[in-house]
Amino acid sequence: MNDGRPSDATSVVRLVARREVIERLRARSFAVATGLLVVVIIAIGVISRLGGDGGDDAIEVATAGELPIGFEDMSGQTAGLFERTVEITGRDDAAAARAAVEDGDADVAVIGDRGEVVFDDGIDEEVLAILQQAWANAQVQQALGDAGLDEQQVRAALTTTPLEPVTIDGEEDSDEGLAILTGTLAGILLFISLQTFGTYVLTGVVEEKATAVVELLLVRARGSQMLAGKVIGIGIAALLQFALAIVAALVSLAISDVEVPGEIWAALPITLVWFIGGYALYSTLFALAGSLVSRQEDAQAAAMPIMSVLLLAYVMVFTFGSDPESTASTVMSILPPIAPLLMPLRMAAGAASVIEVLVALVLLAAAILAAWAATGRIYEQVLLRRGTRISWRDAASLIRRT
Amino acid sequence: MLRVRGLTKRYGPLLALDDVGFDVPRGEIVGFLGPNGSGKTTTMRAIMRLVSLDAGDVSWDGVPVDAGTRQHFGYMPAERGMYPRMKLRNHLAYYGELSGLSPESAGAAADRWLERLGLADRAEDTIQSLSSGNQQRVQLALALLNEPDLLVLDEPFSGLDPVAVEMLSDILREQVDRGAALLLSSHQLDLVADVCSAVVIVDRGRIVLRGDVAALRAASPTRYVEVEFADAVAWNPGRPSDVSAGGRRHRIAVEAGSDADRLIEEARSLGPVVGYSFLPPDLSEVFLGVVGRATLDDPEHERAEVAR
Repeated sequence: MNDGRPSDATSVVRLVARREVIERLRARSFAVATGLLVVVIIAIGVISRLGGDGGDDAIEVATAGELPIGFEDMSGQTAGLFERTVEITGRDDAAAARAAVEDGDADVAVIGDRGEVVFDDGIDEEVLAILQQAWANAQVQQALGDAGLDEQQVRAALTTTPLEPVTIDGEEDSDEGLAILTGTLAGILLFISLQTFGTYVLTGVVEEKATAVVELLLVRARGSQMLAGKVIGIGIAALLQFALAIVAALVSLAISDVEVPGEIWAALPITLVWFIGGYALYSTLFALAGSLVSRQEDAQAAAMPIMSVLLLAYVMVFTFGSDPESTASTVMSILPPIAPLLMPLRMAAGAASVIEVLVALVLLAAAILAAWAATGRIYEQVLLRRGTRISWRDAASLIRRT
Repeated sequence: MLRVRGLTKRYGPLLALDDVGFDVPRGEIVGFLGPNGSGKTTTMRAIMRLVSLDAGDVSWDGVPVDAGTRQHFGYMPAERGMYPRMKLRNHLAYYGELSGLSPESAGAAADRWLERLGLADRAEDTIQSLSSGNQQRVQLALALLNEPDLLVLDEPFSGLDPVAVEMLSDILREQVDRGAALLLSSHQLDLVADVCSAVVIVDRGRIVLRGDVAALRAASPTRYVEVEFADAVAWNPGRPSDVSAGGRRHRIAVEAGSDADRLIEEARSLGPVVGYSFLPPDLSEVFLGVVGRATLDDPEHERAEVAR
């Protein structure tokens, strides 16, 4: 009594994928992992907010004794160069000012008549530099005033232009460092995601073979349809988790008050593209590994070659990531198993040319298709062969046979 | 009607199927018998297109079976398998949809079978929380969800208690009554004799006997005279005989055309007789007659089967 609906390939894939998403979201382990991820991301924001209180922007200065005229103005101006502010509170005498520092009411004390700047424990070089500069300027201002210059002349004499830092290679600032950091972070996240979701695919396939449910499924769906449904379904669950992590990151950033450089946001969509490509390649291979074994205990051993390649790609991020312009880095970033991890970094660093990116994408797509075709051929033949683990060599011989 | 012709399958040096052929008409239950490793499961998998054959073909109503026709078959594999963590109703509905039902029909079929199998109150429980007997009921329901034209059930009775066997037998009869064809394998020959109208017996990948159960029994060259005495007696009728019930029951094999009256008279002279019968061999005796002890105890053959 079929409803006359042919079970066409897409509807079978959709059914299988839907089951994967629903069962994955229902599983406690997935909920725990996602919850943990969200909590950790938000906790980072909270911690950086709390930790930030100690090194606040405002420098609290307790003063005592006679100070050069204009010291307060000068320290405010100088602190502004460091994107900080100064709050000056006058104390009765040197002892009170020192006590304020000791009690933590002030960050530092300036004792005018002794010409001392008092820190509690350890000297904060930045604060010291600000106060030194302000002190010197105020003294100069006072001296110029004493020498008979009027206020305007004094101001003109003291108007200075700060030096602009430049590097030898012409870059105005350290953007490349930030880009490499961003790319490395993306590489780490990609590695963790590919490993996590690849493992979901691996254990999912082994479960179907171990419980023998696969024999029931194979009379209703082709192996390639089951493979596609599983990879897509778990991929959707992965993207949902990814989206939640992004939301958590936004919340975390709002809490921490940290400003995110535009480079990180720019890297996000690119990273997503590479994740999808990398996931398609690795999860197909993980599925193939899973189809070779009949027990969960054997799954890791069967997936060893795939895991090793993924790990190698991860190592490449650190080996070649620091020098994204080098030839070795360029070559590595084009190889399909490595590209999804290394190419985002090189792109973020501005080291990858459009041609290189296109070549890497084409090669990755070809690798995905090849992995897909090979797995499709082997999959159905090995899923019903339960018992001892099937070696990769035997699996390869099945490609040739069909 | 299912038509199986010339199925041949090699696994390396082992000839798993050797020219296997038989029919399963609509409205009939055909029992598929044979020792372990004789090729029953391979044949059933071949009907469901799960193994690639070296030769032979399988057709339904004259049309070669393909993925489309197979959608109208129901299958219960020898190795039971379900998703252990899926909920009962979800599992049934999912498989119903995979079997070509619309989401609504699949849900309705799931509810109907849960009710029928007495598992309606377990609908939201996971598969793994069910007893093995109940899991087997669900496994049967998976095969029946789409009201299949052909049912292929590999060992449906194994591991069931007598109540469940009764329920299963009733369900199977209903299925053939509505016009389905049914092929089932089993080692419980008394059950097969009870449920099946015809049997196919395979041994080492070859069909050794097939036909109507009653006709096969009648065709046997052997008959059995069974005499039950009021008290234990010592009797040597000069033929092979089984003695049971502490020497009160004697079962003697004779040729089909022979005169049983003479034996019964001889029995009467030995002591008071409570009852007697003259019957063809039962199905298990027919089975053992064609298959032989040698195969049943042949460890080599079984190992070859397991190794695949």
